[in-house]
Amino acid sequence: MFDRVALGIVGTAIVTFLLGWTTLFDRTSPDTAVAGLSLFALFGVAFLLAGAGLIAAGIASNVGLFKTTADQYTGLGTGVAFGVVGFATGGLVTTILFGVGATGSALAGLVVALIVTLGIAVLPEDIGTTLPVGLLALVWGVLLAAGFVDVGWVWDPPSLAATFHAPIVVPLVTIALSLLVAWSGAIVAEGFGSQGRQNGAYLMIGLNAFGMIAVLLLLILFVVRKGLPTLLEGAQFGPGLSISVPFLTKGVMLGQQYNGIFPAIVGTVWLVVGAVVLAIPMGIGAAVFLTEYAEQGRFTAVIETATNALWSTPSIVYGLFGYAFLVPRFGNRNSLLAGMMVLGFMLLPLVVITSREAIKSVPDEYRDASAALGVNQWQTIRSVVLPAAMPGVVTGVILGVGRIAGETAPILLVTSGAPFPARAPSILGSFRFTATPPFVQNEALLQASSALPYQLYAVITAGVGQEEAFGWGTALVLLLVVLGFYAIGIASRIYFRRKLHQ
Amino acid sequence: MSTTELHQQVRERFGVETIDDRVVALGAAGALCLLVSAITFLIGSPFTALPFAGFLFTVAYGLYEYQAATAKALSFLATIGTGTILALITFYLLVEALPAIRLMGAEMFTSTSEPMWRTRGEEMYSLVPMMWGTLVTTVLAMLIAGPLGVAGALFISEIAPDAVREVVKPAVETLAGIPSIVYGFIGFTILNDYMMESLELPTSGSLVIVGLVVGLMSLPTVVSVAEDAIASVPESMKSGSLALGTTDWQTIKSITIPASFSGVSAAVLLGVGRAIGETMAATVILGHAQRLPDPLYDVFGNTETLTSLIASQYGVASGTHMSALFAAGVVLFVSVTVLSIGSQYIERRMKHQLQGES
Amino acid sequence: MSDQTVTRTNDEQQSNSLTDQQPTSHTVDAETDEQLVDSWTDYEFEGEAAITVEDLDVYYGDDHAIDSISMEIPEQSVTALIGPSGCGKSTYLRCLNRMNDRIDSARVDGTVEIDGENIYEGDTDLVELRKKVGMVFQSPNPFPKSIRENVSYGPRKHGDVNVGLLGKLLGGDDSEAERRLVERSLKQAALWDEVSDRLEDNALGLSGGQQQRLCIARCLAVDPDVILMDEPASALDPVATAKIEDLIEQLAEEYTVVVVTHNMQQAARISDQTAVFLTGGQLVEYDDTDKIFENPESDRVEDYVTGKFG
Ligand SMILES: Nc1ncnc2c1ncn2[C@@H]1O[C@H](COP(=O)(O)OP(=O)(O)OP(=O)(O)O)[C@@H](O)[C@H]1O
Ligand SMILES: [Mg+2]
Repeated sequence: MFDRVALGIVGTAIVTFLLGWTTLFDRTSPDTAVAGLSLFALFGVAFLLAGAGLIAAGIASNVGLFKTTADQYTGLGTGVAFGVVGFATGGLVTTILFGVGATGSALAGLVVALIVTLGIAVLPEDIGTTLPVGLLALVWGVLLAAGFVDVGWVWDPPSLAATFHAPIVVPLVTIALSLLVAWSGAIVAEGFGSQGRQNGAYLMIGLNAFGMIAVLLLLILFVVRKGLPTLLEGAQFGPGLSISVPFLTKGVMLGQQYNGIFPAIVGTVWLVVGAVVLAIPMGIGAAVFLTEYAEQGRFTAVIETATNALWSTPSIVYGLFGYAFLVPRFGNRNSLLAGMMVLGFMLLPLVVITSREAIKSVPDEYRDASAALGVNQWQTIRSVVLPAAMPGVVTGVILGVGRIAGETAPILLVTSGAPFPARAPSILGSFRFTATPPFVQNEALLQASSALPYQLYAVITAGVGQEEAFGWGTALVLLLVVLGFYAIGIASRIYFRRKLHQ
Repeated sequence: MSTTELHQQVRERFGVETIDDRVVALGAAGALCLLVSAITFLIGSPFTALPFAGFLFTVAYGLYEYQAATAKALSFLATIGTGTILALITFYLLVEALPAIRLMGAEMFTSTSEPMWRTRGEEMYSLVPMMWGTLVTTVLAMLIAGPLGVAGALFISEIAPDAVREVVKPAVETLAGIPSIVYGFIGFTILNDYMMESLELPTSGSLVIVGLVVGLMSLPTVVSVAEDAIASVPESMKSGSLALGTTDWQTIKSITIPASFSGVSAAVLLGVGRAIGETMAATVILGHAQRLPDPLYDVFGNTETLTSLIASQYGVASGTHMSALFAAGVVLFVSVTVLSIGSQYIERRMKHQLQGES
Repeated sequence: MSDQTVTRTNDEQQSNSLTDQQPTSHTVDAETDEQLVDSWTDYEFEGEAAITVEDLDVYYGDDHAIDSISMEIPEQSVTALIGPSGCGKSTYLRCLNRMNDRIDSARVDGTVEIDGENIYEGDTDLVELRKKVGMVFQSPNPFPKSIRENVSYGPRKHGDVNVGLLGKLLGGDDSEAERRLVERSLKQAALWDEVSDRLEDNALGLSGGQQQRLCIARCLAVDPDVILMDEPASALDPVATAKIEDLIEQLAEEYTVVVVTHNMQQAARISDQTAVFLTGGQLVEYDDTDKIFENPESDRVEDYVTGKFG
């Protein structure tokens, strides 16, 4: 009986939680009427029931109607958590009701928070975890069910630029309160005590994990749904194995039936190739020196700190650096080469860090065994250490490549040219050798280029409008490319790990 | 120093067995070529290719003839190169930022009198609104990514059954790869309109949207780094607690989280660094107003972040204006580097503590 | 890792040699063995049984780690479990406080009765069980906290002592009770004299032997009925080992102690009865310690305790 009430409360709260989200995103309308009640009134009834149930359960446990393992005190931890809720509620209510300013409402909130924290902390656990939540639920239930807050409710705080209407406020409050109710119900379900607190915490953590994955997956699905029509526009499959997808194979030209992002794809490929060619030998070299040759001391510590600092340096700062340092040296204009180098610099610290990790994790026995055979240090590194470290290095590099392939800011500053080019840069075809310095020339390398992320940015700055579909298509391709790199990197890591453990 | 001593030293340092003057000469030649090409590159001379080709030739010959010594020298050069890049970044940012800082003095970072940003006429560059914008969006983002990220990490490493973990963990890591411009595009096309419509915002874009989006964006990073830290707490420690009759949750709270605190805070600091440096989402979502919101806590208002300032103005800037953008870059660079060093320091301290040293 | 590989190869070698040489006689042997083993393990003792194990089987995936073991463990005595590496002693021990639940691949069949209740029945409260059945691990695993916090960790989590701000607020500050509890437990574990003046130091700064005694104190502070020890002295030097051995003998006056050890002399010195496990997770013989070491029934046990095998 006790358990069933508790589970009923948790179930109700989860339903209102989900309905809150769907209402927030206009999937369910506040005007939907079920059994003669509007959605908001329905929320109200649900909260009235849940609140009453919680309070009843708390009291029943406290007077000993049901045997529970409730602690003597609720404790400061829970008290502080409620203090935060009290701060928000107290502050908001004083502002909405009395229109006091920010300082006033903050003060009011603090007072409420203090009283709530201490008050709840010293209550018996079964009362302290149910009564406050139950009361809040009852109040919110009355407000909704009795129509004090209905669809037409508005709050226009004078100090904020925003105006809050019921269709946003009610779902938000409902979601927050549902979480509280579900938490409290979960604690009741396990009869309070340490088991109850574990149940409550696990429910919250589980919901969080579920929500996180759901949001991120929805995001990807959303991009796929929006982008797929553009991607497949004019695409032909067959006859046989011939496939043509103009979006991937054409540029943007006037009078062309289907425009595409081929130049941007090629640009991104070259940028990535250039960055990899620059960063990988250098990164692995530095990692080998730091772990195998150098004595661990001040020098390695400084380089290590420098690498970590480089790794956390924002991409736009790399962009600025490229703009100040590289662009003037490559003919004072944006160029593919500058982009390659900047992205290479960005990739470098990651390669150093992951390679060091991988090399460090090669057991010393390997080195000793090799050294015992009279092989010199370099040969040991080349034939024992590096091959053993390779899986880790490869994985790290793939993940890093995925990251730089989606980078926009540095490209914006050092590579970007015409937003919607018609033709792709042809690097291989434009090598020329001359008799005067610098002897080798490659016009295409020194020319501006587009890239997938830049193309997307260009759509946005062009004011979206008619280009929006084009933008979604680009976003989808970019997402596929980047997530593809990540998936390969992670899969290869799992593969190598499994192999190691067999 | 006699030649034999020199040989002795080279032998020790580079681990080569047979040694003669040619190795030394070769090393000197390579170093010289590289130095000359670095100098020619720095002064922007078209002759850079010449000494660089010389360097490549020396390396090729060295690899053919004295592989061990050359490999070691090359790896040393790569290490120096890594350090040099950081030095160059620092140097060029500072040099380029100097004119603006000289013009404005300390006012650049403190002045709050209107107008704070004027690029024509009497120039005025105060970074205060941008610093405030960055601070507000970062705080908002971390309010989301910090607690939710750590909770997510706890779920993956401590609570989820094996089968679930094996799916969720790589999924989250993959999600960390969604490029920021994609988030920006969604924020720009969907969220901006939604917020304008339903909250009657006067302008498109607001700090709160940027905070939300950046928080969501840093979430997977925080989760996977924090998860690594939490998973590295030894099983024996957790069993020790459980065997005393504590619940899993008590063990998580009292043993696992404190023991992995350094790694978890490093994860959160990494998230903060990402949020501070996040450029594209802020650039496309914000409405680019270089003034402080009124009142300061009006997160629904429009201002600018340091990153979005650079990305949106570099194209039209020149002279002192451009230099002011570099100053914004300096502020970003310094704060993120301080964060990075700070988190490394915390991590080292906590590691010592865990090993019982003090 | 290395443990597993070692045992696996052992297993393979043994089964190979058996099947290769005399496959038929082996099965006959095994059958007669089974009845004999039943009688060898049927240990009669005076007094109450603290733990009654019946038909216990443990599987790790497909590996059969414990093969249908039944035994009764008398209360307030020291029971030693000995046997070659990989024979399932630790696995068996972990069954008694259900620490095997932590291992996803482990599956347990059979019953373990403690205080007349089968701990593998549906609604057993693991928290209550582990309060009653404490455990000391093979290698010392103190928490990265102060010595005092290590000892009072269990009672604090169980709400038996309330310290800190809330306690002060309500006037019911238990710091005095906590202090007494810490002192008593550390004295019981013969550690008090060495650490009484540095209770606030990090426990990880103690020596290995001190850490292990701290872990014993930590376990005693919860006031269990049964204490399980998995090779508690394996990582210690002779002096520290002697201290732990003395301690175990004293503990048996109040508690039921089950201890796994690789050290034959140690088992002979400290235990009242000894159970011998052999490869494959079988309990081969269980009797008074003197009997096992002087005049065992089984030849394999004799070989093992005299050092001819294992
Ligand atoms: N977590 C586990 N997963 C899979 N198999 C396991 C696991 N733990 C133990 N085993 C297997 O169960 C068998 C018994 O292991 P157990 O650790 O109980 O042996 P033991 O007698 O304690 O050995 P030792 O004296 O070396 O500690 C071994 O074959 C081992 O490989
Ligand atoms: Mg063992």
